[in-house]
Amino acid sequence: MLNVKKLKRTFNQDTAGFQDVNLSVKEGEIIGILGTSGCGKSTLLRVLSGLDQHYEGTISIENSNNQIGMMFQEPRLLPWLSVKKNISFGLEKEERNTDKYKTYLDLVGLADFENHYPKDLSGGMAQRTAIARALITEPEILLLDEPFSALDAFTKMQLQDLLISIWQKKKTTMILVTHDIDEALYLCDRIFILKGQPGEVYSEVSVEKPKPRTRGDTYLSKQKAHILNLLNVEKKAAGEQK
Amino acid sequence: MISETHKWKVAQRASPQKLSSSKGIFQLGRGILIGTILPIILLIAWEIAARTGLLAAHLLPAPTIILEKIISMYQDGSLFGHISITLTRVFFGFAIGTGAAVVIGAIVGYSKTAERLLDPLFQAIRSIPSLAWVPLFILWMGIGEHSKISLIAVGVFFPVYLNIVAGIQGVDRKLIEVGRIYQLTPYQLTKRIILPAALPSFITGMRSGLGLGWMFVVAAELMGASEGLGYLLVVGQNTYSPDTVIASILLFAVLGKLTDALLKWIEHRSLQWQDSITNQG
Repeated sequence: MLNVKKLKRTFNQDTAGFQDVNLSVKEGEIIGILGTSGCGKSTLLRVLSGLDQHYEGTISIENSNNQIGMMFQEPRLLPWLSVKKNISFGLEKEERNTDKYKTYLDLVGLADFENHYPKDLSGGMAQRTAIARALITEPEILLLDEPFSALDAFTKMQLQDLLISIWQKKKTTMILVTHDIDEALYLCDRIFILKGQPGEVYSEVSVEKPKPRTRGDTYLSKQKAHILNLLNVEKKAAGEQK
Repeated sequence: MISETHKWKVAQRASPQKLSSSKGIFQLGRGILIGTILPIILLIAWEIAARTGLLAAHLLPAPTIILEKIISMYQDGSLFGHISITLTRVFFGFAIGTGAAVVIGAIVGYSKTAERLLDPLFQAIRSIPSLAWVPLFILWMGIGEHSKISLIAVGVFFPVYLNIVAGIQGVDRKLIEVGRIYQLTPYQLTKRIILPAALPSFITGMRSGLGLGWMFVVAAELMGASEGLGYLLVVGQNTYSPDTVIASILLFAVLGKLTDALLKWIEHRSLQWQDSITNQG
């Protein structure tokens, strides 16, 4: 449903950003974009979300009203709105004052916190609110930019499980940018590995294991070793050159 | 994890002190009690000194005499007239000054071109001591209400303007991006993100603007008025009655404090979402 051809966005005379990215995403898939820092993976998401429009190449989204949801590394809640109003933020005016937020409030497990302000939430709760806000508009594609990287290990696992349970209910298509290999293997159907400066798609890894998966599964460990190997190639090459 | 927005808010709002939120009536009462000890002792000492002739009564009359003066003005009905005309002047001057600052400040804060075009001019005008406008306003508008209200409006304008511009320019880019993800129009973006985010700064500006408004109403009423608290000051000086002067000063203090408390209350009510020291608990 999403097709990207020859997408390119670079900065500083082609030394940062990404180039020559071709992707096609099927409905209901969770796609991972994995890479070390500085390979343009966040830039790729900004381009797909429409925040950055100075790109070359084509992006086509099928059968949709172009609804895209986005979650950032930080929750980015509006501090002057309560949890329920933050969740309803993306809705049209008529819907904003309805009870629609309740479904999503329950979905992310914050039922008792609807009237709290963001300042009274923990990091994990704030990010749950952000998930609910991103989902309430029922986007065709949900873009996630390292959404759990600022959370502690336990909260992170909880929210990963939450994301999977939401996916089981809604079958939302997602593109997840991350630098956490375990996270990518736990959540994604296909993982694109970005490498270089500017970043290019170096390899594609399929995770053929139905979700929900078990953490520490042998198949996943094998895939992790494979990915580590892929990411390390360049380091070895650089080492040999010295 | 604290979001960067919060950090920014805290940093930005560190300056003005605010109402204690949920400390409870008891603690609030105790705070007031402690705060009044020194003034009460001073008042008693002043009263005794004036009664025993230690202070010359024609220079500094006893507090009870000043109080009597205020009560007599209340009884003959002139007190209400003076207070209401002064309040009216401050109100209109404040409203006009704030209104102009909101419109111009919003344009300058929002558009880079407008900032380059307008801001140098306003900064230049700002550096003129506002009292220097007095003769010009009298020449232009006479000594009626227009010149007084204009003077107050000029005084109120600048602090509000500066704070609005700073508030709008300081809005977190990350929050604006949230608005762009939801494809808000520029109008929606202003209404739903930029204005609420700039509100703390705006209220700070209003409070310093109000302080200046009170300062300028005195100047305006000194320059020629037939009613008002500033006029009482002139009358007291000309009739050699320090009780009138001090009574007028006292009334200014009370009114200034009350109007500021009103803004403070509005601030407290509208900024409960802020992650600041006074909002804890």
